[in-house]
Amino acid sequence: MSITLDQVTKRYQGVPVVNDVSLDVREGEFFVLLGPSGSGKSTLLRAIAGLTGVDHGRISLHGRDVTNVAARRRGVGLVFQNYALFRHMTVAENIEFALRVRRVRAHERRERRKELLRLVALEGLDDRLPTQLSGGQQQRIAVARALAHKPEVLLLDEPFGALDAKIREELRRTIRQVQRELKISTVLVTHDQQEAFALADRIGVMNLGRLLESAEPDELYARPATRFVATFLGAANLLLARQTADGISFGAAPVDARGVEKVDSGREREVVAVLRPEEAEIAPTPEALSSPFIARGTVDEIAFTGAHERIRIRLTDGAAAHLIGPDGSADSGVLEVSRSQHEQRNFAVVPGEQVAIGMRRVHVLPTPLSSFTACGVTAAGAERLSGHPFLVDLAARMKTRIAVRVEAALDGASIGSTASGGHSLGVAVLRAGPKVVAQLEWLFHRGAAEALVLPAPRTAPQRVLIHWLDRAARRGTLAVAASLLRHVSAEAVYFGIIPAETTGAARSLGMRTLLDARSEAQAVHGLEMRTELRFGDIARELEAQLGTSRDQMLILGVSDLASLRERFGALLNSEAGWPILIVYRPHDVVRRE
Amino acid sequence: MNRFRQPSVLPGFGLTFGFTMFYLSAIVLIPLIALVLKAGTMPWSEFLDVVFHPRSVASYRLSFGTSLLAAGINSVFGFVVAWTLVRYEFPGRKIIDALIDMPFALPTAVSGIALTAIFAKNGWIGRYLEPLGIEVAYTWIGITVALTLIGLPFVVRSLQPALQEVQSDLEDAAETLGAGKFYIFRRIILPTVTPALLTGFALAFARAVGEYGSVIFIAGNLPMKTEITPLLIVIRLEEFDYLAAAALGFVMLVISFVMLLGINLLQAWGRRWMVAGGR
Repeated sequence: MSITLDQVTKRYQGVPVVNDVSLDVREGEFFVLLGPSGSGKSTLLRAIAGLTGVDHGRISLHGRDVTNVAARRRGVGLVFQNYALFRHMTVAENIEFALRVRRVRAHERRERRKELLRLVALEGLDDRLPTQLSGGQQQRIAVARALAHKPEVLLLDEPFGALDAKIREELRRTIRQVQRELKISTVLVTHDQQEAFALADRIGVMNLGRLLESAEPDELYARPATRFVATFLGAANLLLARQTADGISFGAAPVDARGVEKVDSGREREVVAVLRPEEAEIAPTPEALSSPFIARGTVDEIAFTGAHERIRIRLTDGAAAHLIGPDGSADSGVLEVSRSQHEQRNFAVVPGEQVAIGMRRVHVLPTPLSSFTACGVTAAGAERLSGHPFLVDLAARMKTRIAVRVEAALDGASIGSTASGGHSLGVAVLRAGPKVVAQLEWLFHRGAAEALVLPAPRTAPQRVLIHWLDRAARRGTLAVAASLLRHVSAEAVYFGIIPAETTGAARSLGMRTLLDARSEAQAVHGLEMRTELRFGDIARELEAQLGTSRDQMLILGVSDLASLRERFGALLNSEAGWPILIVYRPHDVVRRE
Repeated sequence: MNRFRQPSVLPGFGLTFGFTMFYLSAIVLIPLIALVLKAGTMPWSEFLDVVFHPRSVASYRLSFGTSLLAAGINSVFGFVVAWTLVRYEFPGRKIIDALIDMPFALPTAVSGIALTAIFAKNGWIGRYLEPLGIEVAYTWIGITVALTLIGLPFVVRSLQPALQEVQSDLEDAAETLGAGKFYIFRRIILPTVTPALLTGFALAFARAVGEYGSVIFIAGNLPMKTEITPLLIVIRLEEFDYLAAAALGFVMLVISFVMLLGINLLQAWGRRWMVAGGR
């Protein structure tokens, strides 16, 4: 490995801007860090270069731990967005800077300079001043300068940001060529997904300081694991669907499983499906479609973009309810479709026309958190809960929606009435209060798998505590925690709690469980979390931890409702408590998984 | 004149150029020409006598020597002050920044009297310097102190924008290329701000040469020892020897002009990479 990051965290004034990032960049690999502005990607790059210290974690370059090594001794080359050339020096002096610092002899410096200028295709400009060059030429000089001392890794911070489209493309090609020729491990930071696709061997997508996913470009585009990556890399329609044993369905319309990838869980549940605009098909009638029919719609708007035509289709017949808008709202109801010239010729459409829509291929996100449903006894209560700032903030961050469900039975809910009434509306949201435990039991018996209990208004948490009461709930809890933590910039801590009277052998077992949990979180769910071990009563220890700060929340995995009532009844009842997300994974379901 | 004309928001070149010339003439050129003409009415031998009189020569040396020294001191310490103000955030930064301008606003006589009080043998600072054998008030050292005080804002205000402009990216780039802190300062920061530093130096120097109010209080004004040229001119005026005063003024004018021209040329040379390519 040429660059290895292990749980790197950087905070500014207590807020993590780089949050537990672990990454391996292979020898000679071109790795692109992609993310919106403020996602922490530049900070991470500066940390690799040594210009920014880290608060936690380790950085190694070619096996050498450089976490505490000064930038000038790391042997990296860094290229900046604004070139950062020394304007009072000629091109030659700029390129030779690193060699002069190292007291390399004049003739060797000259040879190296000629070689580098040839590499970036700017021979003969040695005596110019940077201000006499164009932006593209300046950036080429900056690349040459960064390579002069034969660095082990090359780091590029938005190198094309200040250039216009045509020059950008040219320079992109040059950089790719240089990188191939020198086989130097390279990390490039950008917010431009096209740039990432054009250059990368592998792309890592960052948001809110976390490295969400990293994979080869085509893999990442076709099979994103998160909503954020799905929508950030190209256009995507997000749909809420129900996943069953033999495929997925939208409302009443079941879709043939052909276009659906296999998803491991056999449990029937609500899922988020990604439909790329180019994977959608339109035809005059459902029968004329070559792919499974999903909905009807009216053509709303057509935009011609050269090679492709982009069509916005307003879904009709209630199908719009399954669509998640770009901001998480449900009311947009507009599906984006893009077609090639060839398809346009076969079936030309005009705005206002009725069409049938089919899907050639759909990808189901593995996230267990699809949407939220605010549950209340009265319509007013449920409405009020759906406007809870914590919930609204979370839903906006997750780009999902909040539905409202009025359930009179929740008022006098008792475990006795276990009539099944399939719940597959994502995460149920309940208001904390004296009846909440009974309400949770009622919902969980009806197929709910996750429930969020909210106390008085609260904003996004800074720290998320994770705990499960039973090993059976471990996997589900980790998946939910990973999914949630991709959307909030909080720190995740798993609390292992062992009864105080435990003896030596059991203690070391507890310790091992803790480490296993951490490595499973990292390996299976891509979740970096810290672990802490406590001794004592579970509920009391967790409450003590929550008591240290207001801006925390708890994710609690349970597989047995009796122990939930017994141990956490008091915590859940409290109006002044903390948001608690309960992940319910009963034993029988776990066995089926 | 047409070929000088360039589009601009202000009314036509003719009008603005005419105004500029009139303004400069009325305020700067005509008084200076009057000075030269006045000096020119003197017989040549008499002129030389006045100008090369030992007392005059001693005063030139003192005036220009202490001015150069004060501007030099300001260049070094003004740089430190400007650096601190630009590069660091600390409580009270704005207040210190505002204090820099105080020497501009204070009547120079006030600062002269204050400095004299402090540096006199029984003053707050003077009493501790005396045992060490350092006399400040009524010596050339006192003059330098006074000139340093009034020159400081020129250096700091010239440097601040230039230092702000040195992007931290440049330092970061140099650092990743292997340069140490001192090397970065010497090879990157200093060359970048040198033109501004020269401007500050020139302004502080020019101001110091012309300074009168604060110096006469702290100088002691002993002929041949602590008598600056502006004071000598005033003394000649008080003796109604207008011609001698004009001659001395003319000498100051010539020396100042030559020095400022030199600094400007040096600056133009140092700036060539900044304007090249029209940036």
